[in-house]
This record gives sequence, structure tokens and C-alpha cells, in this order.
Amino acid sequence: MSIEKSLDDLYERLNLSRRSFLKSTAAGGAAVAAGGLVELQTAKEAKAFAYEPYPKDDELETVVTSCAHNCGSRHMLVAHKWKDVIVRLSTDDGRYQKDGHFGKDSNEEPQLRACLRGRSYRQRLYSAERLLYPMVRVGERGEGKFKRISWEQALDFVAKKMVQIKDVYGPTALVDQSYAGASYGVLHKSDQIEGLLGRFLGMFGCRTSSWSVPSYQGTTFSSRMTFGTIEDGNEDDAFAHSKLMIMWGWNPAYTFHGGNTFMYMRMAKQRGCKFVLVDPQYTDSAAAYDAWWIPIRPNTDAAMMAGMAHYIFNNNLQDQDFINKFCQGMDGGTMPAWAKGKENFKDYILGTYDGVPKTPEWAADICGVPAKDIIKLADMFARTKPAALKASWAPGRNAYGEQYNRMAAALQAMTGNIGVLGGCAEGVGKAWHAEAVAYPYDQYSNIWFQSIKSDRWAHCVLNYPNVKREEIGLWPREDNTDGQIPNIKGIFWQGSDWFNQLTNINKEIEAIKKLELVVCMDSTITPSGLYADILLPIATHFERHDVALPWYKGHYYIHRPKVIEPMGESKTDLQVFTELAYRIGGDVFGQAFNPKANRDYFHVNDNVDEAYLKEWWETKVMPHQHVDMTWDEFKKHGVYKFKLDQPHVAFRDQIENGASFQTPSGKIEILATQLAQITDWKRTMYGYEIPYIPKWIEPWESLNSPKTSKFPFHLISPHPRWRTHSIFNNCSWLRETYEQEVTMNAADARKLGIKTGDTVEIWNDRGKVVVPVYVTERCMPGVAVLHEGVWIDLDENGVDRAGNPDMLTLDEPSPAGAFAYNTVLCDIRKTDLEHRPGWDQLATSRAHVFRRDL
Amino acid sequence: MSDTKDKAKIKAAVKRRKRLTYTPVKPDMQLGFVHNNVDCIGCRACEIACKDKNGLAAGPRFRRVQYIEGGTYPDVFAYKVNMSCNHCESPACLPTCPTGAIFKRKADGIVDIDSTLCIGCRRCEAACPFGAPQFDPSDNLVKKCNMCVDEIEAGRKPYCVMACMMRVLDIGPVEEIWSGELETVAIGPNDQVSRQVKNMSNIELTKPSIGFVAHSKGKVK
Repeated sequence: MSIEKSLDDLYERLNLSRRSFLKSTAAGGAAVAAGGLVELQTAKEAKAFAYEPYPKDDELETVVTSCAHNCGSRHMLVAHKWKDVIVRLSTDDGRYQKDGHFGKDSNEEPQLRACLRGRSYRQRLYSAERLLYPMVRVGERGEGKFKRISWEQALDFVAKKMVQIKDVYGPTALVDQSYAGASYGVLHKSDQIEGLLGRFLGMFGCRTSSWSVPSYQGTTFSSRMTFGTIEDGNEDDAFAHSKLMIMWGWNPAYTFHGGNTFMYMRMAKQRGCKFVLVDPQYTDSAAAYDAWWIPIRPNTDAAMMAGMAHYIFNNNLQDQDFINKFCQGMDGGTMPAWAKGKENFKDYILGTYDGVPKTPEWAADICGVPAKDIIKLADMFARTKPAALKASWAPGRNAYGEQYNRMAAALQAMTGNIGVLGGCAEGVGKAWHAEAVAYPYDQYSNIWFQSIKSDRWAHCVLNYPNVKREEIGLWPREDNTDGQIPNIKGIFWQGSDWFNQLTNINKEIEAIKKLELVVCMDSTITPSGLYADILLPIATHFERHDVALPWYKGHYYIHRPKVIEPMGESKTDLQVFTELAYRIGGDVFGQAFNPKANRDYFHVNDNVDEAYLKEWWETKVMPHQHVDMTWDEFKKHGVYKFKLDQPHVAFRDQIENGASFQTPSGKIEILATQLAQITDWKRTMYGYEIPYIPKWIEPWESLNSPKTSKFPFHLISPHPRWRTHSIFNNCSWLRETYEQEVTMNAADARKLGIKTGDTVEIWNDRGKVVVPVYVTERCMPGVAVLHEGVWIDLDENGVDRAGNPDMLTLDEPSPAGAFAYNTVLCDIRKTDLEHRPGWDQLATSRAHVFRRDL
Repeated sequence: MSDTKDKAKIKAAVKRRKRLTYTPVKPDMQLGFVHNNVDCIGCRACEIACKDKNGLAAGPRFRRVQYIEGGTYPDVFAYKVNMSCNHCESPACLPTCPTGAIFKRKADGIVDIDSTLCIGCRRCEAACPFGAPQFDPSDNLVKKCNMCVDEIEAGRKPYCVMACMMRVLDIGPVEEIWSGELETVAIGPNDQVSRQVKNMSNIELTKPSIGFVAHSKGKVK
């Protein structure tokens, strides 16, 4: 393209008319005429990149793909490649969709711009930490000594060991800890419940599954109980229509939930929406949306919400018509006939049963928010229509976190903000429904022989067989194996770094020593991988064929072709499982597991993957979602964006057209039918009683507990912006944007004689970590913030020199299964203990150990 | 950096530098950046996109999102000031370059460094009041933002602008940015554009080609 022609294009894009462009060119021409010599001399400068060779985008091959990791969104990445190397990545610029052009960015079909994590993907792809060959452990577990072996040896070892373990210990001996990791696509799907690994182990006949989801089990429970579904979310464009938005523990500036949520919230701000943040930290979201910050003690959210409910009821500000029509158990009038004698929510709030009215003053003592602020917020929320109370997941990752989410749903319902544009019923917040499965989905997809609360595996291993079913949250079974404690002897990690991410890592370290088989399938080495017996190198999503679907919000599909050939000897998950199936159970198992493939699949997988995806597109997407774009056309564009007639709002049909909610009563169940009818809690997966209406329950650790005399700080571990859990921890570009540090309030720091940049140790009875400190006014006194996901780096005394908060968390989940990640007391002091600033500094040496053939 | 330098080329470049020092380039149209300090969530996708585009390792940062915070608990505030090279009207870097590697483009006012001439002496780095020139120890050169001239010449916008998830970073003819004429979503319907905000050097030094939507606490009287 000539420079003149391109400048012309640019002028158009900058909204300069052709005429003004001509005018400025003419002016330029005059300058040339005036100083011809000067122009001649400066003519050389037009050379763009002087440090050539520099491959420009248009000289490279362009391939549309997407990011793929376990965050709350999914965005487009555009690979610019030279032969088999990705030279750089860009993102959606409007060109790729049907009828697209550069710069197209309408509200109907906004660009799907990738975040900083997605943009750094090349560093993960080409990192020194990539696993390139199968390896077997030669040292102790956790020591990190491995030796390269062939796929033949590795698979043979795993297959034989699996059969042996199953024969000796029975069908519960293997645990699958697979999470979305870096494998979230319609075909190559790692998933906690129903992914490829679950299917493989289930068919094999030896599987203990993990049922509670670390990020949002409290929230899932609440949404299921209250609304009967986790699809209680609006699409991101609905956020632009709120007049008041309460971000409760929600920081979309860090978590980027949904394709363009944060952008639509900006639109709401421009339209006059007021924002409120209830959070121990003044987050970047609060700053960008100019929110009223209400600092709150961690784990006391349900109390503050109860105080708000009290104000609303007491002043008769509730939407009584809405309550009467759509709610069960909100007040005496909405109690079902079968529940006579049971408690209703309003009377609980007013103190009818326990003599304690949950007044704003009562709440203020617990949550540390002045009563006048609770009243002001309750008043705003009750009077502003429509108002969105966005109850995020983080405050639910607590002891009794489910009560916070249930209480939030009660507030959303009593103000009539459910099912209306600009309101909000989230919760889990899953909105538009994607056709999510292209792999074989049949009766084998989710077979398990026992299922436990996910962070209780270590407890189960260490105490077997003296474990009570309620301690590990055993899911009930219909057959005679109900209640049998699983005898766990092996773990499979697929695209999952759970060892680093679950609670109370020191207990996990004890437990893993007792196992007989630990298999880690991943694209890079991870802290979990260090404890594995076998490391299997898995192709990244750039190295295999798939389709990306939005994770949480957004309505689109992104094609994900094989951009480059798999590096080293890496194979896809599906290839590995298929080959293992053939080795264990011959053609019968192999073909049942992967019906479109034959034994060659381990070496040649392109056609089979294409066949699965094409079938998915043609039999699911096209007919079910009324898509007229063919598979080939989709592959050509690389993206398909759905256009919705109106913003998707959860429960619109129920509110506008009287459809039933998916609960037993067909209503919004403030009184949960299912819970109210349980008599023997031990025989449920919960193990312990959960109130059938939302209630405030004192957590086992908080700033109000007597334990603060020993451990005066409450530690919370939010999701960072510069990692997705532990993924990307090894990327230096991202490492440059932050430091793994503990954030604390300036007044607290002064008392301890700590200033920004000091190294501190944080400890409690469970463990100890060493990190630098960041002192700020933006954090509530008494609260310490340490982001989750950093890769553990233990010294000889088991002190984590990297600063992973899960060295301090407790492996005691909430009854409903919520991980109590944010229910942690600790103490902090200045220290001389060694802090290791970055994995990247260690990476070279560690990679050397991994790679060398010992 | 090449070991041997083309002496004739250096001579010509030094001559050009001398001329440009005394008769600065008056661009036909000056391009500049605009950034919304308030609505920016500080995600730094622009920084990472820039790193990837320019093939930089950890260390040199062409684009820098500064986090600014203040106040006393609980009455606090925070905002972001995002800058790369400001492609100044009077670039302080240009006259300091002993080999004449730095030049300003006539067509769009972009200031660039010819790395075949750069000797990595880092004088420009010291001269720039905004910290734009960045030393890259991997090849002993000073490098900086050139507004992705290859993208601009291809009729597109720089990588940082196209990376902005919030759409609060943009480019345009700088006069239009300052006058508010530029149609861009980076500037909201009720926003005013300032040339000077707190947390940046005095613009009189080099007359940077950049505009900001300032935070209420970041305004300069």
C-alpha cells in the first residue's frame, strides 16, 4: 500500500473529510515548494523501521484465534506468523467478522479486545517453562528432578499403574483435578465435572470427582437454591442501562468479567449511573467509575445486607407487588402452605424469632460500616430504579459465603430488580448460553464412584479410613456404595495447577507423599508439576484445532485453528486420553472414548478434530442457534458474533410473561424448598445444616473473633489482573506490571514500623510466606491483601518465599461447598527471611533441570 | 547495533540534526495521543501489546501507565496517566543525539530513532522530560515509541490504541484533540481535554503532542 493511499485511509478513520485531507496535503505541497532541498533531505526519513528486518503485519500470515484460560472472559487474538513462528499477536480490530472493516466497533457487535494476559500469550507459548517431552520423576516428590522419557514409556507406565491401582484399591482410587486451565474450548475441554479427563477416568471405572468449584461454589449454591439455575446473568451490554450499580466485592478492572462488561459500565457512567463499591479495598474499578467506597470487614457482608433489608422493610420501601407475585418465603404472605411453622425472611430480619432485629446499627457493629452509610445505601438501592446489585463471587469464598449470596438475592428480589433491564440477579452471572460441547457427550460423560468437596482430598488421604462423610462432603449415591469413603491413591491433573491453588498447601504436601500415582498434563511446568511422577507435555491452543466459546458473558464463537505445529513432542489432551484408552482397554475402550478416531490418532489428529468441530457446528450451532453461516465461512472469518434483538436479561421471561422459575415452587425461593425439607444433613453433600432462608452466621475466623488477639489481620486473596490464577505467573512482561506483595493500610503499617518495599512475613498456624509490602490508604485497616496464584517456592523450612496466600488458608469449606479462601486471620511483621522476588529469575535454572536428560 | 558505522551516513545525519535543531520540522499535520485519566482502568493491555509489537524483553517500556493515588483513608482517590513518546513539537531528545539518529517526520510529526545510527549513548534518555527513550540492554540501543509507523502507513492505528479494552486511548491530529473537535470515544460527552495534568513535566519544555481528560485531583490550574 502506498503511503499516500494509507494516509488517506487513516484520515478517513480520524474523521477528517477528504477535503480537509486535500487541503492539508496542499499545504504540505506548498512547504515542499518553499524548501525543496529540505524536503529532499528529509525524504529518507520516511523509512519506517530503521532497525530492519522488521516484518510488518501485512507481510505476515494472519490467523484469527483466541485466548484460552480460566478467567471470566474470552477474547480474540490475532496471530501474525512467519512460517511456523508466531511473530506477534494483535486482537480484534473489527476486520474479521462478517461485514467487518477496520475500526468497526458497534454496540451491537463490539470488538473483542484481549486483555493484558491474552496479549502476553507469546511469552507463555515460547516460555522456558514449556514442557516439550514426557518426563519421569527421579527425585522425591516436590524436589523437581525429572528425566526425559519417550511417550511409549510414559504412557505404558501410566496405563499399567492405573490398572494396578484400580485392581488393588477399587473404583475410587483416582481423583481427577482438572480445571479449565488453559484448555477451555468446545473440543479439547478440561473441566472439573465433565471434561475429557472425567470422561476418561469414568469410562475406565476408577474416579473420585471433586464437586465444589473453587471460585464460586457459594454463589452457585445460592443461585441454584434461589433461582433454580446458575444462568442468572445479564449480557454485558445490559450493564449500560443501570441507574445505580453496587459493585459488591466486584472488581471488573481486574477480572474483566465478560467480553466488554467494563466498557458498558463506562457507558452507564456517562449516562449518569451512580456507582458504589462495597469492598475492603478501593479498587481500580472504584476509581474508574468514580464510585462511593464503603469499606467493609471481610466476611461480614451478609450482616450488612441484613441491615439494609431491615431498613427497607422497616420503611416499607420494598416492591411488595413483585414480592407477592414472584417470591416464596420473603414474608408471612408469601409462605407456601406446606411451610407453616417455618421461618420467613422478613420476620427473621425484624427479629421475630430470635429477638434480635437486624437493624443497621446491629449490622454496623459486625461489619464496621457506620449505620448511617448502611441506611443511605439501602435507601438509594430501594428508591433508584433500575438498580443493579452485582453480588460478585469473592465475598462468597468465605465461611458461610453462600449466606452472603442468598442475602444479596433477597435484596435484589425485594426491590424488584430481577428480570428488568438495568437490574441484576447475579450471582453466578452466566448469561448467554453457548453450545459448549463438541467432544463425544454421552452416558459416559460424568461417571464417578464418589464425589467430594474439592479441597478435602488431602484431609481424606491423610485420615483414611477414619473420615466421616460430612467432613469431606460426600455426594449421596443411589446405590450401596453411598457413604463409602474413597481410598484415594492417585491424582490426575489436566490443565490444572490445583496443588498450588487449593487451600492449606502444607496439608496437601503431607498428603501427596502417600499417593502412588501423580500425573500432570500441562503445557508448562507448574508448582503442581513439581510433585508429579510423570509430566506429559500438552499442546497449547495455538497448536491444535478448536473453537472458543465465551466463558461468562458475551455471545460469539471464535475459531481456533492450529496456528503452529505442536512444539517439541507435545500432544493434545484428547490424543493422550485416546491413546491411554487403547493401551488399557484395546479397541473397545479406545473407540468408545473417541468414536471418530482410530489408533493412528496419537500421530495424526487433524481430520478427526475437524470432523468433531464441523459436526458440532452443523448439528448444534446452526440449527439450535439459527446461524446461517457455514462452517467453512466461519473458518474463513474466524469469528461469529451473534446480534441480539435486545440486551439479554436473566429471568425477563419470568417477570414479563409469567414463566416459571426453575425452582420447585416456580418462584424466587427466598425460602428454599429443597433445604427446608432436609432432615438428615449428614446424608447430604453439604454435611452440615444450612438455613433455608438467608441468615447471618458468624464465620470461624474474622476481625470480630477472639482469635484476633493472636492473629490481628484478616487476609483476603483476590484474583489478580496479571495472572489467571497461576497461569502467566512466569511471563516477564506481566511480572513487570506488578509485584507479588501484600497490601496493607498506612496506619497499620505505621504501628508496625513497616513501609512500602519492606520485606515482611505473614503467618498463622497453617503456614508462613515472605513478601514485600505495599502500604496504602486504599486498604481498610486490619485487612491485608495478597493476590492468589503465585507459584509456591518453598525453603527448607517450608516457608514460601514467593508469597502464595494458600499457604495460610484453611481447607475447611463452607457447608454449601464454598472454599473459605477469604476466611483467614494472620499476623505480619518485618523479617530477614529470604524473599525470592520472581519466578522468572529462577526460571532459567529450573528449566535447565527439567530439560536436561539426567 | 552494527559494529561498523557508515561514516557518510553519520555525517549526513549529523548535518540533518544540526539543521533540524535550528530549523525544527514543522509537520504537515501533527499526530498525537489522547488518554482519559479517569475512565482508564489501568489494565496495561496497551503496555503488553506494545511490548509484543516491538519485540521487547522485560526492561524497556515504551508505554507506561502511571498509577496515581492519594487522600487519606477512607477518603481516597486514584487515577492513571498513560504516556509513551509524546512526539513533541520541540523534541528535547533530537538535538542531543550525537549521531543524528533521531528525526521528526514531516508528514505526521512522529519522532523516530534510526537504530542503524544509534550508538546507545543514552543522552536522549536523559534529556527527555517524559522518560520516553528507553535503553534496551539486549542490543545496547535506545528505542522508543514510533506510534507504530508501519501500522499508520498501512492505514491503521498503533497497537496500544487498538489494544485499549476501555477505548480510552486514541490518536488523532493533535490540534483537534486539544480543541475537542476529534471524534473519539476516548473523550466522553462531558469531558474536557487538558494539555497539562499533574504528574507530568511542564509542557512548555517540549510542547508534547498529547491531550488528557484529567481527573478532578489531577487538574492543573
